[in-house]
Amino acid sequence: MGLLALGTALEWPEAKKKADQVRQWGIEQLLANWRRAKGKERDALLWGDEVEYLVVALDDAAKKSRLSLAQAEILKSLARDEALWKSGTSKGNENGEHDGEEPPHFHPEFGRFMLEATPGQPWGIGFKDLLKVESNMKWRREVASAHMAPNEVPITLTTFPRLGTKDDYIQPYYPPSGPALRSQFVPDEIANPHIRFPTLAANIRSRRGRKVELNVPVFHDINTPRPFKDPTVDYDLHNWPEDDDVRNGAAKEDHVYMDAMAFGMGSCCLQITFQAKNMTEGRRLYDQLSPLGPILLALTAATPIYKGFLVDTDVRWNQIGNAVDDRTREELGEAPLKNDRWRIPKSRYASNSTYISQDPRLRKEYFDPDLVVDEDIKKRLMDGGMDDLLATHFAHLFIRDPLVIFSEDLEELDLNKGDHFENLQSTNWQHMRFKPPPPDKDDIGWRVEFRSMEIQITDFENAAFSIFIVLITRAILSFDLNFYIPIQRTTENMETAHARNAIHDRKFWFRKDPFSRRIPRSAQQSTNGSTFSSTTSSAVNTPPPSPPLGPVDSEFDLMTISDIVNGCADGTFPGLIPLVESYLNSVNVDVETRCFLASYLDLIRKRADGTLWTGARWIREFVAKHPSYKQDSVVSEEITYDLVKAVEEMTIKEGKHGSVGWELLRGKKTK
Amino acid sequence: MKLILSSSNLMHGGRQSVIRQPLTQKSNVELINSLRSNFLAWQQIESANTNGNGHSNGSRPPASSWTHQGEDALYIPAIDFSQPGLAEERDQYDITVKLFYLPGIPASRRCAHTREAIDLVLKELHVKSIDLLIVSFPGILFDADDDSEEEDNEASNGEPDDFDSTVQTWRVLESLHEQGMIAQLGVAEFGSERLARFLPHTKVKPSVDQINLKDCCVVPKSLILYAKQEQIQLLTHNDCNDILPVGTTRELLGPSEKGAGILASSPDADDGIKGDVEPQWVVKYTAVVKDRGVVENKGYFASADVGTCVKDRS
Repeated sequence: MGLLALGTALEWPEAKKKADQVRQWGIEQLLANWRRAKGKERDALLWGDEVEYLVVALDDAAKKSRLSLAQAEILKSLARDEALWKSGTSKGNENGEHDGEEPPHFHPEFGRFMLEATPGQPWGIGFKDLLKVESNMKWRREVASAHMAPNEVPITLTTFPRLGTKDDYIQPYYPPSGPALRSQFVPDEIANPHIRFPTLAANIRSRRGRKVELNVPVFHDINTPRPFKDPTVDYDLHNWPEDDDVRNGAAKEDHVYMDAMAFGMGSCCLQITFQAKNMTEGRRLYDQLSPLGPILLALTAATPIYKGFLVDTDVRWNQIGNAVDDRTREELGEAPLKNDRWRIPKSRYASNSTYISQDPRLRKEYFDPDLVVDEDIKKRLMDGGMDDLLATHFAHLFIRDPLVIFSEDLEELDLNKGDHFENLQSTNWQHMRFKPPPPDKDDIGWRVEFRSMEIQITDFENAAFSIFIVLITRAILSFDLNFYIPIQRTTENMETAHARNAIHDRKFWFRKDPFSRRIPRSAQQSTNGSTFSSTTSSAVNTPPPSPPLGPVDSEFDLMTISDIVNGCADGTFPGLIPLVESYLNSVNVDVETRCFLASYLDLIRKRADGTLWTGARWIREFVAKHPSYKQDSVVSEEITYDLVKAVEEMTIKEGKHGSVGWELLRGKKTK
Repeated sequence: MKLILSSSNLMHGGRQSVIRQPLTQKSNVELINSLRSNFLAWQQIESANTNGNGHSNGSRPPASSWTHQGEDALYIPAIDFSQPGLAEERDQYDITVKLFYLPGIPASRRCAHTREAIDLVLKELHVKSIDLLIVSFPGILFDADDDSEEEDNEASNGEPDDFDSTVQTWRVLESLHEQGMIAQLGVAEFGSERLARFLPHTKVKPSVDQINLKDCCVVPKSLILYAKQEQIQLLTHNDCNDILPVGTTRELLGPSEKGAGILASSPDADDGIKGDVEPQWVVKYTAVVKDRGVVENKGYFASADVGTCVKDRS
């Protein structure tokens, strides 16, 4: 999560004064880096996954599970081992299973109860590499586990069901209501103590002018009170000015109310980053993967509980968006614009809002006409030589203020660094991220990050979804697929993906025909007058389709997730899985790999068609069937403990032979 | 008369290769669809050019306008080999070619057929060599469910390829390998028994045995072990065995709405080129950018004889 430099972090009133300077310097750094790296060519496909864990401490005697705030100790212990591995005095694993693999890397996250783990080295497209992903994920879990207390486990639930309740859900316990978060539910100690994190939280709150506000609709079960008034909200606190928020109506009826960054940024995600062969390919992948964001969000849905209540949404996304929403009332449109520069329709954490590929298939109708852009920054970028599309993208990201500024960094502008650029770039948490090569590392190319997926309970699932996305990128490039839809439809899809059971109950906008029109080569030459190059990446070489284009609205339609993943019965959209399989049929895949890949694709196919449950559905059913559940939406400490135990068992047995979780992993009790 | 059918690069506009069907189904749909759609695209361009309005007026342009009568064969459609083949340098690619010898065609023709097929691929891709040539012999069917090997199944699928001609064909491939034209050789659908019988007769061992992926998780253990021991890689495919039957060929090239309007509807009819049609071989080529896993070029060539000059099979 971003850079962890040390220094003197400015509080918001000071930081605000320096915002223009940081933006300007960031743009100069971007331009310098873009000039240096725009011609980078022929980088290999390298990719990496990021898996995030909650660290949970189990008290079997009391049947209680709590979040452990032991991140720092665990990371310190892990770092010691990593140093030993590097010096060669200790082997990463005893049984030789991971010979030749670099030991995994572990990173701090916002939540002090979280860990992030990445493979020790990036993956390639070699099919043998794909086979290693799942075992490497399992290895990461083992390594992490080995550095925890005996009663602690790393689990991959997106959120801890009882974060922010009245009970002692953290260990060690701290009472809520500290100066940084000013939350009535969680203490400041819930966040990573590195100065960056409390500053980030405090400056978001400060810039916003009140606490962040998360209202998630409660799931109304038969005994849930109507109207539901979140019983955990305290209206009589007077520690901080922000305690007035709830008296001013921050907590909505029929909603579970939360008031701190930890409720969002404390969620675990599954993120995949790809290295493209050059900037052109990176921009193309950014655009083509963008419409898939909401689809994969709905497919991976795993977040049905907040603060001890079943909610009526299945995914984490908007909660994170609200948890880091630093927009003022003016920017939100709740007050007339006086001091701020513009109304901003989305949080810094939201679906992406513009396309960046110089692709003849990208029609102007696909853009959002109301995209907010800093015109001065766009002009500076274009004066510096950047093209309109890319300049627009960055000038859109740079409408935001930098949130964490270290005064030491403002002394001199270093064009060989990217720190000021990253300050804005890494606090724009859109569902796609386009990453320029780091200025100080020649061996890293242009990259694209796919950020919408929810973490899954088992490593089998996490490997399946990671590899699925990798294979989709290969199919996109090989078949020259076109998934463009107007970007506002993707924004809409992102909202749709939140609904309970959206995966089966809702439809999503999707492009009907992903194929480009086929034009024989010599015909291309004669109609185009230029020599055709069969390069797969350079969209500028593809001639415009000769017949006039139809209306944009006829290009896409509402489809079910199953149609999108498995193909429409009427043959309009072929389906992501059949596309991936056609790709696999065109390359040499050995029998063992194909068998693995088949099991991954099968999981996704069956998630989409309903044969297998989503994590969200499984958790809901687990709660509903629990003997102590009272049909009142309350997920008690006891249920949470049993859920965590079940999840822990599932990560090991993976639903085999009718063990817990077979409904979302196997579909049959006997398999 | 010889016909050379070509699909050109089917990756762009690749609808014809994406088939919504159970994974287990083997198929020649990709071949047929890609040929048909290439013919159609050429006809449309031709009629658009003639009409000048960018739209076809519905009538089929004369075959001579979009095919090419070469010295040796009629090219359907006309191929312009002066077009560049691959975007990047040769060493960036893995080029795999699979050659299907068709049932009922005498093994004695395979030497010439192999040269002919490989030459077309080399010309199309503008390369001097290929990395892997997999050959598919007619009548050999691998059945993963049946650990007793493939022999039993052959009777029901026409005559099995006789062993001597398989070995003779391999000699041809070995010589191409020696000339540096092919880096590695492979076979398709060989079970462990057949491999064991075959290997002692080879100078250049097959590096690959490609088997149908019907259910790749149940490959017989004997084959896995034997392949490992002999350092033969087991790869998967989903091509069907009789990839271009006579009937399909006539339908593809015939005068019906879905046909190309080249051949007559039956050997004696007057609505196209008269005579019997006999598909000779099919070749599939794939160029994959190695370290990016991108399939840049994939296509088929097929050859058929037509007319009264169809060679005697004896």
